[in-house]
Amino acid sequence: MSIKIRYLAPIEAAITQIEIWWRSGWGQDFVDRHLSPRSFALLLLQKDPNLWEQLPGNRQQDLEQLIATTQAQISRPISLEIAQARQEFAQAIEQTTLAEPNPNQRHWGEKIHKLTVNPISGFPILVLVLYWGVYKFVGEFGAGELVDRIETFFEEQINPVVNHVTEQAIPWPSLQDLFAHEYGIITLGIRYATAIVLPVVATYFLMFSLLEDSGYLPRLSLMLDRLFKAIGLSGRAVIPIVLGLGCDTMATIVTRTLETKRERLIATFLLSLAIPCAAQWGVILGLLAQRPAALVTWAGLIVGIFLLAGFCIDKFLPGSAAQFYIELPPLRLPKIRNVITKTWVRMKWYFWEVLPLFIWASAIIWVGRLTGVFDWLISGIEPIALALGLPKETAPILLYGFFRRDYGAAGLFDLQQGGQLTGDQLLISAVVLTLFLPCIAQLQMIIKERGVKTAVLMVSFIFPFALAVGYVLNWGLNLFQISL
Amino acid sequence: MDCHQCHQNHGSCGSKRSLRWLPFSENLTRPPIEPGGPQIALVGMPNVGKSVLFHALTDTYVTVSNYPGTTVEVTRGAVTLGDRAVSVIDTPGMYSLLPISEEERVARDLLISESFGAIVHVLDAKNLGRMLSLTAQLLEAELPVIVAVNMMDEAQRWGLTIDREALVAKLGVPVVLMAAARNRGVDQLREALADRLASTSVPAVAAVG
Repeated sequence: MSIKIRYLAPIEAAITQIEIWWRSGWGQDFVDRHLSPRSFALLLLQKDPNLWEQLPGNRQQDLEQLIATTQAQISRPISLEIAQARQEFAQAIEQTTLAEPNPNQRHWGEKIHKLTVNPISGFPILVLVLYWGVYKFVGEFGAGELVDRIETFFEEQINPVVNHVTEQAIPWPSLQDLFAHEYGIITLGIRYATAIVLPVVATYFLMFSLLEDSGYLPRLSLMLDRLFKAIGLSGRAVIPIVLGLGCDTMATIVTRTLETKRERLIATFLLSLAIPCAAQWGVILGLLAQRPAALVTWAGLIVGIFLLAGFCIDKFLPGSAAQFYIELPPLRLPKIRNVITKTWVRMKWYFWEVLPLFIWASAIIWVGRLTGVFDWLISGIEPIALALGLPKETAPILLYGFFRRDYGAAGLFDLQQGGQLTGDQLLISAVVLTLFLPCIAQLQMIIKERGVKTAVLMVSFIFPFALAVGYVLNWGLNLFQISL
Repeated sequence: MDCHQCHQNHGSCGSKRSLRWLPFSENLTRPPIEPGGPQIALVGMPNVGKSVLFHALTDTYVTVSNYPGTTVEVTRGAVTLGDRAVSVIDTPGMYSLLPISEEERVARDLLISESFGAIVHVLDAKNLGRMLSLTAQLLEAELPVIVAVNMMDEAQRWGLTIDREALVAKLGVPVVLMAAARNRGVDQLREALADRLASTSVPAVAAVG
C-alpha cells in the first residue's frame, strides 16, 4: 500500500517494538490474524480488550510497560494522538479531492433540521406527526375504516360460509369448533390476523417507513435525548426506544448498539414495559379513538410510567449515564418506491410471523376447551379481571395478552365492537395490555440478548406490575367516580 | 422466499428464527457460490448505505433505513461477477477498528477472523473527511480495500464535487463513485471487484513472521 500514516515518534517506536515482538512469536498467540502486524500493534497500544485477553500474562506485563513508557513521552493520551493523526490524514485528503463551489445549497435542510431538533419547535412538530401520522392515519383510517370494512366482510361473507361448510363436512361438533364458530382457526385466528392486525400494521409501517427514510427519527432521538437527560435517563437508550415504537423485538436487537451493559438493560426493560409496538398502538388507538379522554389518559399514564420506571432504574442501577452520540443522516425526501418496498417486506414478515401463531393459539384454545384446562385457567383469571373492574368476558383476553399483546388487543377490539365495554374498562384493559410484554418473540430476544436470569426477573416484575397498575387505576377511577 | 418455511416449521429453523427482522437473508441465488472461493465484505460507518449497496449487488432485501445502527447482524448473499458467484457479507456500521459497542465488534471481529478477497469500504460522499480515517485504518491493516464513495447524488445536490483520480493517487486503491440507491456506479463496482479478485486470487494473507 502506498500510504502510511506517520504517528508521533514515541508511538512509532512502540509500534516497531511490538512488530519485533510479533515476529519473535507473539503472532502465534492470535488464532485469527488477517490484519497486518502494524494494525495489531496499534490496537494493542490502545488496549483493545479482545486482543488483550488473548495475550498471556507475561506479555501483558511487557506491553503494559511499553505503553507506560510511551505515554510518559507524550502529553495527550495515546489513543487520542492516534485518532488525531488519522483525522489529519483524512482531512488532508478531503481538501485535495473535494471541492465545494457553492456552499449555500445545503441550507434548506439545515433550517428544517434546526426546527426538528430544537424542543420549542420540535415538540409541536412531534405532536403534528403523532396527530396526523399516528392518530389520523393509523388510528382512524387503518384501525377504524380499514378494520371495519375487512371485519364486516369476514363476518358477513366468510364466517357464515365457513361455519356452514364445517357443519356439513364434519359431523362432530367438537371438531367443528377447531375450524369454525367462536374460537375457530378460520373464524378467529385468521380473522384476527387479517381483519384486525394486518390493516393496522400496514398503515403503521407505512407511516413509520416514511418517517424513517426522511431522517426524522434520529432528530427525534436527539431532541428527546435533551429532555431525558433532564430527568436522569441515559440519553443513548433513546435510539432503540424510538425504533421500539415500530417493533419491540427488533428494537431489543438494536439495544446491542448501546455501549454499556447498564444501558442495554435499561433500554430492554423500558421496551418490554412501556413501549407499545406498531400492532398495539394501532389497535389501542382504534379502541380509544372514539373516547378522546380515555386516549389522553392512556397516553399520559404510559408516558408517566415510562419516565418513572426509567428514572427509578437509572437511580437504582449502579453506574453512570453514558455519553450520547448519534450519527445524524441528512433529511431526505423519502423515495416512494423504497418506502413501499420496506413497508411491504415488513408487513409480509409480520404477517407470516403472526399468522401461524394466531392459528396455533386457536388450536391451543381448542385443546384447552376440550380438556377443560381453558375453563380452569379462565376461572382462575376471572377474579383478576373482576378485581380490575373488568367484565369476566375479558378474562380470556388477559390470557391471550400473556402470550401476545396484539392478540389480546385484537380480542378487546372484538368485545368493544360488540359494545360490551365501558370507557373505563377499555382504558384499564388497554393500559394493562400495553404494559404486558408484547409477544413471545420479544421474550425470546430478551433471553438471547440479556440471558435467562434477566428475562425471568423482568417478566416476574412486569406481569404483576401491569395488573397492579390496572387495579390502582380502577380503584382511582371508582374513588373519584370518573367515567370516561 | 424460502424464509416463509421458517415460519411454518418452527423447530427446524433454530437460530434463524431470532433473525427474523432481517427477513430474507437466506435468499437462494442463482449461480452457486464456489466453495472455498473468495469473499467480499461491505464495511463502513453507520448509515452510509451498505445495506442499500448489498441489496443492489445481490438482489437480497435487507431492511434498509435512514437511521444509524439498523444492521446489527452480518448478512450474507452472493454477487455475480461475470460468470462466477462470489459470497458478499454486509456488516453493521463501525467507526473504527477499535470497537466501542457490541455491533461494531461484530464487524471488526469478522475482519480479523476471516479472509477476504476484497473489502469494499463504503463512504458517504458528503462526509468524506470524517470517513477517510477508517479507510486509513483498513489500509494500515493491509486489507484488500476498494473505496466506494456512495451518495454521490446527494453530494452533487449539495454542490460538492469529488476528484476520483486524486483519491486513487492518494490512497493507492481503486475508487468508485456511486449512488447505490439510484443504482449508479454499481456496475463499475462489480468491475473493480472482478479486477481485484483476479489480482488477489490467492487470498491476501497478513505477513506473519
